[in-house]
Amino acid sequence: MISNYTAIEGQSFRYWILLGVLGGFFLLGLGAFIYMEVYGHGVSNMTNQVVWGTPHVFAISLLVMASGALNLASMATVFAAKQYKQFRRFSAFLAIVLLVGGLSVLLLDLGRPDRLLLTMIHMNFRSMFTWNVFLYSGFTVLCFLYLWSMFEHEKYVKIAGSAAFAGRLILTTGTGSIFGVIHAREVFYSAITAPSFIAVSLTSGTSICLMLLVATFHYTSRPMDMRLVHGMRNMLTFFTLLVFYLFVIEKFTKYYAPAYYDVESWILAGPYSTLYWGGVIALGLLAPLVILFNPRSGNTLGGIMAAAALSILGEFAFVAHTLIAGQAYPLQLFPGHDISSIFLDGQSAVYSPSLVEILLGLGGVALAGILYLLGIRFFRLLPKKAEAPDEWHPWSP
Amino acid sequence: MTMDRRTVLGMGGAVAAGVLLAPGVQLIAAPPSNETSAAGSQRWAMLVDVNKCTPGCTACLDACRKENNVPLFGDPARDVHWIRKVEVQDKEHRRAPFTLPVLCNHCENPPCVHVCPTLASFIRKDGIVLIDEHRCIGCRYCMIACPYKARSLVYFSTRFPKDGNPRVPIRAKGVVEKCTFCVHRVDDGQLPACVETCQGSGQGAMIFGDINDPQSEIAQRVKTLRTETIRADLGLKPHVHYQGL
Ligand code: SF4
Ligand code: SF4
Repeated sequence: MISNYTAIEGQSFRYWILLGVLGGFFLLGLGAFIYMEVYGHGVSNMTNQVVWGTPHVFAISLLVMASGALNLASMATVFAAKQYKQFRRFSAFLAIVLLVGGLSVLLLDLGRPDRLLLTMIHMNFRSMFTWNVFLYSGFTVLCFLYLWSMFEHEKYVKIAGSAAFAGRLILTTGTGSIFGVIHAREVFYSAITAPSFIAVSLTSGTSICLMLLVATFHYTSRPMDMRLVHGMRNMLTFFTLLVFYLFVIEKFTKYYAPAYYDVESWILAGPYSTLYWGGVIALGLLAPLVILFNPRSGNTLGGIMAAAALSILGEFAFVAHTLIAGQAYPLQLFPGHDISSIFLDGQSAVYSPSLVEILLGLGGVALAGILYLLGIRFFRLLPKKAEAPDEWHPWSP
Repeated sequence: MTMDRRTVLGMGGAVAAGVLLAPGVQLIAAPPSNETSAAGSQRWAMLVDVNKCTPGCTACLDACRKENNVPLFGDPARDVHWIRKVEVQDKEHRRAPFTLPVLCNHCENPPCVHVCPTLASFIRKDGIVLIDEHRCIGCRYCMIACPYKARSLVYFSTRFPKDGNPRVPIRAKGVVEKCTFCVHRVDDGQLPACVETCQGSGQGAMIFGDINDPQSEIAQRVKTLRTETIRADLGLKPHVHYQGL
């Protein structure tokens, strides 16, 4: 079924323009990093209350998406969905480049990035961060092994693919746990935070694969069977419902406990509620579901692409909301009391992204984009044409 | 041109494997965690009598800023605060509001230390929680984890103040800083600057001592009076105690 893999030619004007634009954003990101390095984090809009700002939103969104991008490969290797076997290489490669993009933003946003090596010399195994250093590098190794076995030794694919699958679940659990384990912050502290991150990784990862595959096939004039797009759409629909379910459970559980009334009302009606209702719920969850379940838009390429783009937007909104609202909610030094101080105790923090932070974040996205473009040009990652087995008929609305 | 994918894949894998393994290799050679000369039998602690702390008094804040060269940038959201006065009012307004100083609690189970990836945040044997400013990478995870907002990131370049205290080095931009219980003074047998000032020119609301020494005033008062810590429910065992909360 699988036609031969080939690298793309990468000679077209469009290819170079795209590379040039991404290169420009990458340089702007680098400039933003240097600017912040020279003048300090004072040039950003971060404060002593919102200490992780927009760069973290980009970084974590990319890392979460990276783990989800591997999903397509896992579907083929672990869940024997043969029709996606032809995308395994693409999927594993995309996972690596998104990871690299996200990590670079995370590292360049450190107060002292020059001391990065210290994380490898002095390690604290109680810290979720230390675990994440291992998880990220471990996941990259597993993806490389997986790719290598696909290229060279098909017989190891099953084991490497299964290991990468497990690796990515652990990875996203680790990312979610950076927040989930923080007792002091009512907004994140929950056992459901990590599973929600996994579910969101599945929606955003599937969406990015879907969008990149359709775009790449279109621009390189490679044929793709529409049934494959429909199959991926169904995955996206399923994962979006999963996210919805987890969100409902979380709200339901928290609203049952009076201790959470204050924080939950703040989330649903406070200063960051627009991000929650508008970004996470309306754009990120409801709009894709409406599009995908509609027999007209749910079956057209345009509709499916729009739903995928909205899911990615929703992922960013989810990460931004968890992160920013989670920090902006004032720490409750004296529950049941109002507090105030010159350190802005008791006040919801005001935060909006600054240009330098946005550029740094976009730099990471651009880096991932550049690596992707170079990857498909130098490696045989994509099939010449994407076909689906005749007897396979994915469900359609 | 298509690169020899075997080479490139191999190289990529090797780099990634190197990154994965390097920490483990380094780990063997890593020095033991922060050893200090602090005695393990001591446990420094502070007690604040809230009834004596008057709303307008900022003697402890001023003394701290001077003693520890704590910078003020004129930006309330990004100024560095080692100690601050917090005004507390019950939501129903049944009680008169009161104020109290809040600082690092030098928790016995400090989440800031637990989350610090480089062990830059550490707890001494005598319970003082410190930051090794040469090891802090400015990841700010400790700030996320501390429930008391006791830590500040240095957002701007700092300069040694003209009349600064030479015993306390300033902190570079990009690292996190917080109250040290005036460790340099405590190690010399002195009281933290805030406590000394509060007892002198202030209201006499603060005392400091070794809570493990049954003869000390702080141990006596914690034993006989009703004292509390902030958010004791979090289980961090703070070592700043309050009387009259
Ligand atoms: S008060 Fe905050 S900074 Fe101080 S020891 Fe406790 S957790 Fe750490
Ligand atoms: S900011 Fe510094 S002290 Fe805080 S967790 Fe990171 S490395 Fe440790």
